[in-house]
Amino acid sequence: MTRCSRAAFFHRARLGWPVLAWLAAAPAALAGTPIEERAPADPAGQVEVSNTAGSVVITAWPRNEVEVTGTLGEGTERLEFSSSGKLTRVKVVLPRQSSRVAGTDLVLKVPAGSAVAVNTVSANVTATGVRGSQRLQSVSGYIHTEAAAEDVECKTVSGNVKVKGSGQPGMLTVTTVSGDADLSRVAGEVNGNTVSGSFVVASGDTSRSRLRSTSGDLGLRGRLTPDARVDLESISGNVRLDLEGPVGAEFDVSSFNGNIRNCFGPPPVRTSEYAPGRELRFREGAGTGRVRLKTLNGDISVCNK
Amino acid sequence: MTTDDRREPPVSLDAALERLPRSIEPGRDLWPAIEAQLEPRSVRPVRRWLWPAAAAVLLVVASSLITASLLRREPAPVARQAPAAPELRYATASFGPDQRLGPAYDAARQELAQSLAQRIDRLPPPARRQLERNLAELRRASAEINAALALKPGDPLLEELLLNAYQDELAVLASVQQLTAGNGSGTTIDATRMQL
Repeated sequence: MTRCSRAAFFHRARLGWPVLAWLAAAPAALAGTPIEERAPADPAGQVEVSNTAGSVVITAWPRNEVEVTGTLGEGTERLEFSSSGKLTRVKVVLPRQSSRVAGTDLVLKVPAGSAVAVNTVSANVTATGVRGSQRLQSVSGYIHTEAAAEDVECKTVSGNVKVKGSGQPGMLTVTTVSGDADLSRVAGEVNGNTVSGSFVVASGDTSRSRLRSTSGDLGLRGRLTPDARVDLESISGNVRLDLEGPVGAEFDVSSFNGNIRNCFGPPPVRTSEYAPGRELRFREGAGTGRVRLKTLNGDISVCNK
Repeated sequence: MTTDDRREPPVSLDAALERLPRSIEPGRDLWPAIEAQLEPRSVRPVRRWLWPAAAAVLLVVASSLITASLLRREPAPVARQAPAAPELRYATASFGPDQRLGPAYDAARQELAQSLAQRIDRLPPPARRQLERNLAELRRASAEINAALALKPGDPLLEELLLNAYQDELAVLASVQQLTAGNGSGTTIDATRMQL
């Protein structure tokens, strides 16, 4: 250390002592403020949660009230908690002028029949046992939830999405930009859209499935209902469809530049003598369902067990 | 042909035909005029393929430049107010070599892109970089399909994929707007001040 920098170090250290003394004297001021809020709630009401960073954990319980616990992040202005009629609002309010704000961890217990709407930036979202509709959004945090018969919508930019279904038919919509999605035991209608994320869907009975990606891979495994409509489309990602049980559908499979591999039905044919495209059209069983698989460059695989 | 004509004996018709000259010399040389008419037609196929090729090259170059500029951009520090993002400008959207998507579509796209440029700094830097990379990926995909359409105009698969690619781009832009706007609580979320 040179003489000059040594002097600067001691000068900074002298200035830092009061700060260190204050930190030692007031540890409680640094620790996150505990949250404890509770209010009666409609058993089929709506719960809205907004938290920028940290986490949001929602669990359903059999009581007709909403409870919020957790820790308010250092630098946060306050927690807004209000309940009126069917609507309960939980919002982490940030100060207008502050250089750094720590994340807030929210733990909510809500009536099982509640509809929940959560909006975060980097906070992770976890929901368990909620039977009402869910609208969960996060920019970069992950979303883990369970789907019952009501509609579930998950939306992220880079956060991953994991949805565990109950096998009951419902409507599930998942949109990500680069986040991956893992959807298991889902039934009914599944809509997925991503740019570069990979979507893996394991469904029970699939009646409507529409998955689209730009470069992410798409995979769907499940049984087709007699009137199923399955539509998987990717520009440069691979598409894979694994069917279980008896298959009764018309297949329309084509790729402009990729390969097609199928475990049943006729072999794919080239669309032109001079172009690389391949297509595969056939009818299997009763042919009442419709399956469309399309890619520009990605490979397509369709098989049944 | 009238009823009277049909009554005339066929002999007189033959005789009339016999009296006609076997060939007639043109009054002037018609070939130069015909040749002048044929000349542009022989050039037309070349021109027809030039435009799509030029458009495809333009799209690929524009897309590559956008990708390169987006990837080169440095992330802003988390704890400081991020500098304003440069306005996201898009090349006019085309649908194959000969079709444009129209001013209404372009206006909607530009409006969403401008609005996104104002909001994109509120995203955590890693999410912002991911978003920018993926928007570039969407534009690259559209350019690639457009280039393929130039080689195979009217291909239904390519047209469907391209239409969906444009729709996806708008959907992503709209989606990010929604994500950065909060959940209807009135205030927008600024993540640059958070310890993420």
